[in-house]
Amino acid sequence: MRERLTTIRHLRLVSANLVIVLTAIVSGCASHPQSQQPGVAAEEDFHDPLENVNRKIFDFNQVVDRHVLVPAAKAYRAALPERVRDSVHDFLNNLQEPLIFANATLQGRFDYARDSAVRFVLNSTVGVGGLVDVVGRWGGIPYRENDLGITFGVWGIPEGPYLVIPVLGPSDPRDISGLAIEAFGDPWNRIVSGQPWNYYWIPYVRGAVSGIDQRSRYLETLADIERTSLDYYATIRSLYRQRRAALVRGEHGNLPPNPGFTQNVPAAPASSVASTRSPDVVSALQDGAGVSGQ
Amino acid sequence: MKRILFLIAAFVLALGILLPARPAAAADPAAVITSLGNEALKVLGKNVDPDVRVARFRQLFQQNFNVPGIARFVLGRYWRLATPTQQQEFIRFFTDYIALVYANQLAEYNGETLRVTGTRPAPDGALVSSEIIRTDGKPPARVDWLLTPQSGGYKISDVIVEGISMAVTQRSEFASVIQRDGGQVQGLITALRQKTESTGAH
Repeated sequence: MRERLTTIRHLRLVSANLVIVLTAIVSGCASHPQSQQPGVAAEEDFHDPLENVNRKIFDFNQVVDRHVLVPAAKAYRAALPERVRDSVHDFLNNLQEPLIFANATLQGRFDYARDSAVRFVLNSTVGVGGLVDVVGRWGGIPYRENDLGITFGVWGIPEGPYLVIPVLGPSDPRDISGLAIEAFGDPWNRIVSGQPWNYYWIPYVRGAVSGIDQRSRYLETLADIERTSLDYYATIRSLYRQRRAALVRGEHGNLPPNPGFTQNVPAAPASSVASTRSPDVVSALQDGAGVSGQ
Repeated sequence: MKRILFLIAAFVLALGILLPARPAAAADPAAVITSLGNEALKVLGKNVDPDVRVARFRQLFQQNFNVPGIARFVLGRYWRLATPTQQQEFIRFFTDYIALVYANQLAEYNGETLRVTGTRPAPDGALVSSEIIRTDGKPPARVDWLLTPQSGGYKISDVIVEGISMAVTQRSEFASVIQRDGGQVQGLITALRQKTESTGAH
């Protein structure tokens, strides 16, 4: 118990420092464009002060996606039958369970931590080293993604400005610090990187396969969104933010939504359309959803 | 006699044409979602011609969704800056756009069913939670529906998929488009029109 608290405090310090440093860097070079002409509304706050740089990195990522990731994902799909790909997916998910367990515990979500432990033990044994997600498929306990960025969010650390990371994609200071610490703290990565084995290439292969696996699952969805979007960058930014917020709220079950942009909703104009109150409804929902921690 | 039968038949037919737009159980939000969800999954499935799918979706959207309210929400603060003509234009092209975007996404569905898991009161309406049960053994997708009472029944104001609000997503994207066009609503309207005209359904 004492150890856990120390760990939490330590992690909190590390993350707080990282966040402060990153935020300082970010806000240092941020210039907030203020185009206030009469007749033109104030801009929506996307919390994206680095938008110009982010969009350039986003474009670069799109090129990488089109020429490397998508072809690789398509080849992967063509080369292996679905059953094999599902096994790869289940295996990679199973490798995540120790960190998921740790994060759920750090968040105080002990039911999720228990589920993760059950999944890991049974899937690693009955499920042949994690190749078959027996617990998810027949035991009714699905895989629930979780990570250190979510833990920081649960602890009340703000997400900070939106960031697009080269190759990795959408993020923010909170999530990218979480990712960095997890890469360092991942038990499998440690085991194969000198304690006790020296297969330094394994984490990279795992990362690459994991990326291709993920990409192959969203080929159609992302292509659809890109094709129909008016501003793909803005859509992805909004989707990423909302998804992360939902995970921080622990919304794996059916909990009320908590949309992010509703603070900026102006009072509904009393004009034209009658009895349409959705902005009010959504922001009211948000007030009510503050205590949603399961 | 024949004449009377003919008149009755005509009357019944006319009723049939006039009535189906009324939801069957308007009083119960959960029933609204159950019937709409399953109808949508049925008539918009995989084996439907893309153009037909978009047309059907458009009809379902206009009948069951609070279209003017959603349009005003997604335009956010820019709604008040738009002229009444622009507002009407926006509603029209926005409806086309939504039909195009979401009809396409539903094209992937084939044999799925929708199950309502709960209803909770929301301020000024109700929030219905549901799951889309997939056929391939993958975990169900969670979809929440925000309903607002309107003209004796309920209309849908937002759809929240796995914690992601469709209304908020559109609103954020549209605001970005408008801002990048110097804060003018007309740019968004033009972009919507071009998108719906150029992007056929596949």
